[in-house]
Amino acid sequence: MANAKKSQALPEGGQWPDTIAFWATLAGAVLTTIGFLMAFFYAGPVNGATVDGLPEMIGGQMVSSKLLLSQKIFYFHMPVAIVSFAALAFAGYYSIRFLMTKNQRYDTCAKVAMEISLVFVICTMITGDLWTRFEWGVWWTWDPRLTTYLILMLIIIAYFVLRNFIDEPERRSVYSAVISIIALVDVPICLMITRMIPSSIHPVVLREGGMTGDMGMTVGVCMIGMILLGFGMYRLRFRQVRLAQRVQALKDELEEN
Amino acid sequence: MNPVLAEIYSTILPSAPYIVAAYALMWLVLLIYVVMIVRNLKKTEAQMSILEEQVAELRVRSK
Amino acid sequence: MSVVLKTPSTFQQYKTLLRKDLEQEFRTKEMLTSMGIYALLVLVVFGAALGQTTQALDLLQVSGGLLWTLIVFTSLLGLNRSFNHEKEQGCLEGILLVPLDRSVIFLAKATSNVLFLLAVEVITVPLFYFFFLTAVTPGESFWLLVLPLLVGTIGMAGIGTLLSTITVNTRGKDVMLAVLFVPIIFPLLFACASATTAIIVGAEGALDVFYPALLLAAGYDVIMLLLSWVLYDFVISA
Repeated sequence: MANAKKSQALPEGGQWPDTIAFWATLAGAVLTTIGFLMAFFYAGPVNGATVDGLPEMIGGQMVSSKLLLSQKIFYFHMPVAIVSFAALAFAGYYSIRFLMTKNQRYDTCAKVAMEISLVFVICTMITGDLWTRFEWGVWWTWDPRLTTYLILMLIIIAYFVLRNFIDEPERRSVYSAVISIIALVDVPICLMITRMIPSSIHPVVLREGGMTGDMGMTVGVCMIGMILLGFGMYRLRFRQVRLAQRVQALKDELEEN
Repeated sequence: MNPVLAEIYSTILPSAPYIVAAYALMWLVLLIYVVMIVRNLKKTEAQMSILEEQVAELRVRSK
Repeated sequence: MSVVLKTPSTFQQYKTLLRKDLEQEFRTKEMLTSMGIYALLVLVVFGAALGQTTQALDLLQVSGGLLWTLIVFTSLLGLNRSFNHEKEQGCLEGILLVPLDRSVIFLAKATSNVLFLLAVEVITVPLFYFFFLTAVTPGESFWLLVLPLLVGTIGMAGIGTLLSTITVNTRGKDVMLAVLFVPIIFPLLFACASATTAIIVGAEGALDVFYPALLLAAGYDVIMLLLSWVLYDFVISA
């Protein structure tokens, strides 16, 4: 997603990011698969509630509390959420670029980044929700973190609804750029909310006592994999949208002649 | 199995369906999105080739 | 005799724009009456919902949120209208022809929206008290309610002004405004509702909840107002 470093060159399909996009996607797929396997076979189990009775010897370690398998969801839940925030940040960046230059290309970039963000937000919601269902026993609760994240999702959906409700392309891109910049305000709120409101029951890694090395390694592998996957998906979608735009432009030109 | 060990492992089996579902649904969402993009890409490429043919036809006619 | 051409100062422009809105409203009283009646109707609906509760404590804990529900829906109605007649009569194009700083338009419009909302709240909040809170005893420092109301109203009017300028140019304006407005003001709404509830319930240590929540709401206000102010130029010129 880090194309258009030089301000002169507009992002376009087939530029250098596309040449690495394929390899990035492949590496992302491999890394997430490795991360998946690591989550189950390498990262140590996490202890839950303490068990009554004497500790047991399991695999050379004394265990005195319940082992939680449900925590394995975390290894993908957090990277996916981070990618959704990152995609939103890129959408905001391209929206600012659009408002500065009024070039439709940046609007396209922002829209595609927003779409990636929505996909990853949905993934975060699914993984988080199934964990919530098992650990908290409910499908939904109005925990501050969950609420702000839901709000973020609603704003992203509203962004696409707004795009569909406006016909003039210039106006559409200006308005949606404004909305995506406003949506960006919710990202730090969502990130900080578990620190600001201590009554939040959403787990925080630091509050849960940090991660051991093997867990950190697993999260790291999953994170890099997911970021690469997100980048690959962004470039693929961007190329497709650009091609569609060029086809449309050609069609219009042919009809005129 | 002794009761303590049973309790240590007590949440693992009940939580398994949720974990499987979480991973499966997440991959499904990503997969659906990618499949959608690829299908759109194919469609647009087909349109592009039709357009190219049209342009070539027009060029022949105008000569 | 010479003709002296004087460019009006920014403050004068602001005053003129604000006066235009107020005069227009006082002539027709369209917005205030429709908002007032709507608020009353929402209160009646609440009455149907709350008629089922028997416990006074439940009512106290719920009423803060209900008050904000009332305010959000009423402001949605008002914000929808505030740009509609500008658009219908071609007034907006006229204003845009005047060489003035676009953010002045934002400030004037936001101020008039704040005033309208406050006017409606002056009527509805006592009514709310009359209908729902006389049967129970709200906390002692109940009057502090004014603070979250003020902070919330300023924030809603500010964000709402930007959003209603956007949605007035879209298809299905009313729906679009709600779709954008509710999620974007949500953090503000949440903070204000928790501050209000703390005050109304008036339990031990209510002020420890009240002031942080109020501070959060005010912080969100400042960020959002600044952002709306900066972005308004792009929106209104589009």
